[in-house]
Amino acid sequence: MPDPRVTGAVRYSQDVAMDRMLHARLLRSPVAHARVVRLDASAVPEGVVVLLPEDLRDLGGYGPQIKDQEVLPRERVRYAGDVVAAVAAETPEEADEAVGLIDADYEELPAVFDEVRAASDGAVLVHETINISKNDAAYFGIRPQAATNICHLFRLRHGDVEAGFREADVVVEETYHTAGAQHAPMEPHAALARWEEERLEVITGTQTPFNMRSDLAGLFGIDEESVRVISPPMGGSFGAKTFVRTEAIAACLSRKAKRPVKVVLERDELWMTLNRHPATVRVKLGARSDGTLVASETECWANTGAYADCGPGVAQKMGFAAPGPYRLANVRVDSRAVYTNLPPSGAFRGYGQMQSTWARERTMDLLANRLQMDPLELRMKNLLRDGDKYCTGETMHDVHFERLLRDAADAVAWSEGRNDKGLCVMLKGMQTPSRAAIAVEAGDGGTYTVRCATTEMGQGAKMAMRIMAAELLEVDVEKISCPDPDTDIVPYDTRTTSSRSTHMMGRALEVAVADLEENGERGYGEVVDEGGLDPDTGQGVASSHWHQGAAAAEVEVDEETGKFRVVKLHAPIYAGRVINRPAAELQNEGSMIMGLGTALFESNEFADGQITNANLSDYNLPAMDDMPATLSHELLEREDGEVQGLGETALPPIPPAIGNALYSRGIHVTDLPISPERVLDAVDARDESRAKVTSGPASTGVMSDQRPSAGVRPLLTSPSVGLLLGILGAGLLAIALYKLLHRRVEAGEKASYGPGAPRR
Amino acid sequence: MIAPEWHEPRSLEEALSLRAEHGEEATVVAGGSFLGIVMNQKLFVPTMLVALRSVPDLDYIELDDGMLRLGAMTTHRAVERSPVVAESWPSLAFTFSVVASPRVRNQATVGGVVADADYASDPPSMLAALEARVVARSVRGEREIPMEEFVLDHYETALAVDELVTELRIPRRKGSSVYRKFRSRSSEDRPCVSVAAAREDGGLRVVVGAVAGRPQYFPDICDLARGERLTGEVTTDIGRRYAERIEPLSDSRGSARYRRRVTAVEVRRALEDLDRA
Amino acid sequence: MKVRFSVNGETLEVEARADEMLLDVLRRELDLTSVRYTCGAGVCGACTALVDGEPISTCIMLAPLAEGKEVTTVEGLGGDHPVQRAFAEAEAFQCGYCTPGMILTAKRLLEEDPEPTQEKIRTYMGGNLCRCGCYVKIEDAVNLAANKGGA
Repeated sequence: MPDPRVTGAVRYSQDVAMDRMLHARLLRSPVAHARVVRLDASAVPEGVVVLLPEDLRDLGGYGPQIKDQEVLPRERVRYAGDVVAAVAAETPEEADEAVGLIDADYEELPAVFDEVRAASDGAVLVHETINISKNDAAYFGIRPQAATNICHLFRLRHGDVEAGFREADVVVEETYHTAGAQHAPMEPHAALARWEEERLEVITGTQTPFNMRSDLAGLFGIDEESVRVISPPMGGSFGAKTFVRTEAIAACLSRKAKRPVKVVLERDELWMTLNRHPATVRVKLGARSDGTLVASETECWANTGAYADCGPGVAQKMGFAAPGPYRLANVRVDSRAVYTNLPPSGAFRGYGQMQSTWARERTMDLLANRLQMDPLELRMKNLLRDGDKYCTGETMHDVHFERLLRDAADAVAWSEGRNDKGLCVMLKGMQTPSRAAIAVEAGDGGTYTVRCATTEMGQGAKMAMRIMAAELLEVDVEKISCPDPDTDIVPYDTRTTSSRSTHMMGRALEVAVADLEENGERGYGEVVDEGGLDPDTGQGVASSHWHQGAAAAEVEVDEETGKFRVVKLHAPIYAGRVINRPAAELQNEGSMIMGLGTALFESNEFADGQITNANLSDYNLPAMDDMPATLSHELLEREDGEVQGLGETALPPIPPAIGNALYSRGIHVTDLPISPERVLDAVDARDESRAKVTSGPASTGVMSDQRPSAGVRPLLTSPSVGLLLGILGAGLLAIALYKLLHRRVEAGEKASYGPGAPRR
Repeated sequence: MIAPEWHEPRSLEEALSLRAEHGEEATVVAGGSFLGIVMNQKLFVPTMLVALRSVPDLDYIELDDGMLRLGAMTTHRAVERSPVVAESWPSLAFTFSVVASPRVRNQATVGGVVADADYASDPPSMLAALEARVVARSVRGEREIPMEEFVLDHYETALAVDELVTELRIPRRKGSSVYRKFRSRSSEDRPCVSVAAAREDGGLRVVVGAVAGRPQYFPDICDLARGERLTGEVTTDIGRRYAERIEPLSDSRGSARYRRRVTAVEVRRALEDLDRA
Repeated sequence: MKVRFSVNGETLEVEARADEMLLDVLRRELDLTSVRYTCGAGVCGACTALVDGEPISTCIMLAPLAEGKEVTTVEGLGGDHPVQRAFAEAEAFQCGYCTPGMILTAKRLLEEDPEPTQEKIRTYMGGNLCRCGCYVKIEDAVNLAANKGGA
């Protein structure tokens, strides 16, 4: 049997169909913050089911960590793209037409888009009250700050930071900004919902079937057992298809229509559904003149948009790994998840690690420059080693940072010269505490079925399960099957996120197989990793095992235009023990290539809170001819090593390695993506400062007091910029934007704006 | 929603009379790639589609006494791969070869790309540099419009509502020409700035694309090169003057300020390439 | 309106609207789900089919333009085509969503150039996006198919 991926036979969530199924379309707000003063669906023809807020009076809210979402907001819309009404019709075309016939009037409210501004006193409040969810995705202490937009403040306190900086011979400080990004899975979100009596069944591409079940049960006020979630293979996810996205709307439409309803998002709607957190990160590092780090201070502002989703968790992880894999006696971290009137941000491959790694590892090179030290040597001097304590108080085991960093440096022949080369080393936590459960059933003819909630999105999870089960059961891998997760059948499990499945499920599988050997027909296995952090001090166990990675980059820069090429990219990561080598390589290469996109050009752009590049022409994804001439990686294994998750580790170190390679020429870029335009500005800044400083070493460490602080960052909010973008800009979709903005103008009086979107 | 009428005229005369009768309402379908995109975006809902695919003799690449004639329905791929074009107009073949992907080039036509007048398309600036003329036909007759006068602004051309583009005519060239496509993001991106330059008998034509609503050509600046070698000061000067003269737009590929900077550099480099060619 | 064309070797007549794209017709009328919607703008290649042997973005090709054409989707290659075998052998996919488009594009590339250079592979295949980022192994697969006379 040829692999169904080469014959095109895979049936993804979007291919699922059911008899009597209706097709949904959503009406979205064109404005970022407004009261909906009128919603008139009287023009919609009979036979089309219309869902309005008044249909949902009996329903509560939902949200994995904070219950801040309603299926259709009753009081006000909080971002441009918030769903205000929905329809379901016999065909997608009819639904399209019908949704355009709903009239909505908005009374615009002041809005806030920048995360630093939104976190300051006196900012417009996106939510007045914050209710923490009972969902197990809210597994850590969430600390909303009353009467602010900060829905979670994570603090880490270790040693005495003030004393540390007093002790330092050199102190560097810089503020960075990273753009929001879109996961852009090739397959859009697709969900099908139907009710059978009082029971809800949802077939949807999701990484989180049990969180979905719990959130939907809470929304409808029914038992969790009354909700069934089935997750077919996904055409990519990368964090996009986590928690409740379109499923609640599908379920509400189905409840009203009394028929199955399918929602498939249009491409531009993905940007209005979930993105990567834009973030501002300020880093301050102090060191003795010999390079010993003595103090580290980090402040993070993670822009979680209009709804928290798992933003608190992202901010926490961004924060607790921000100090990096270094021995540090004095650490302070304040990391905030901040509400704004942008579309929601949530899980994205790397889960907050990319943002703080970018900031810290760039600052490490500023420090090396100030110390006139080799950046490799500076890092080596301070790296955590086996048995060291991390700033959370936990003892580090199975530590391989030195080896990984050395491997990265060797790949670019660091010892032969450092020009145009850059390095990075990082660590990333895995969700902790965490629990995984799995069942193995014996079938006919020596076959076995593995039942688990691990979902398949291309990462090869199912094959990894089958290989591990085959090894344990000592049978051929063909004898093992691993069907799509179905919450009615598989044991409860948290979710397929955080690169934890192979690591956790692998161990649970060992228990299950042992149980099966004892009991004959069905074996059950469960493992629990204890731990967690005190959110007010950051002390405890952040991660039951740490993902460890490094990267090296080499660039060629055209200093006249700022355009540069990454000619070499290498990322070694610690893999423990590799289960399925090709799949592991694909995950690593895929992370690197996604990291390349983050570094070079991926950026969500907004005007007045409206996304302006929500298509794959104006938002670029890395293509095959964007690859460096040499792209290589290393999966570091150890004899008897533990199986490690490796789906994300190689993404965060890529942008800093590239940024540091530019910095080897004195080109200091603080913001991602590193566009040629930003490079050119940095070349100018370097040349100006060189012209000023006629003696001494190349003074390249531009301190934060020489540039606008994050708080005064110019936003894409002025009408002139919006107009410019709309009328003149945006390539092949210039007219799309023109029309969009034109509709926006109308929206004030008579809003009738559906998602200007590609149809299918 | 009512589906648009589909017309598939079997002769040019039939097509022209549909255009004459229905004017703007008759949306012309050549390759249909641009149309497909704007229809997918729901930016445009046609009521009547007139496909040219069955009109005979619109798909050809011919030499006519040294002049190159490209039928309007000729695909980008055909131009890119034509030995005739490669022989005497290699920069034109190159320009068509860097448009989008093979898929789009298999579908998109030369008539379509000039009539759509998208500012970020590659061919219009090269065609203008090569003194191409657009042949427009209507029931009233035929006229030739110089390429540099054809595109007026974003998606606006000199074509009358009853006219069809039937052919592009590119005169024989003795000198050399180059096309530089400057991308600021992915290798698959459209240009942030493009520069087409051609030299013949000491005369110079530099056309900058993707920076404004229409290709930018300033004959008075080009005249500075008359009788000069394209090296040193004159190339820098022409680049700088082009950068000053254009009124660039801002989009996700670069700000107006950045486009000016790049234009100065890329124009100079194009001239240096010409000198070497 | 009726559109008559050949799909994977079989001549068919299907019902289509004048304003819909070939992609919609292939999926709805013929259940050919290997052609997939992603960008709707001809950018990504997930909807690639061969039309008269050449790769085309079916998401931006009006269905009536397929009249009289020969359309090939990956279903039409069987499953044992050398390019399919090369992709399987190189494990050049993760989620598999873009794979049919990659295979069809590679097939045409190898017909045009049986021994493509790295640069040729990257520019020709560059218009087919893979968000999982399997490009290293996709390049391997094309080389593998080339060495074995893949097209």
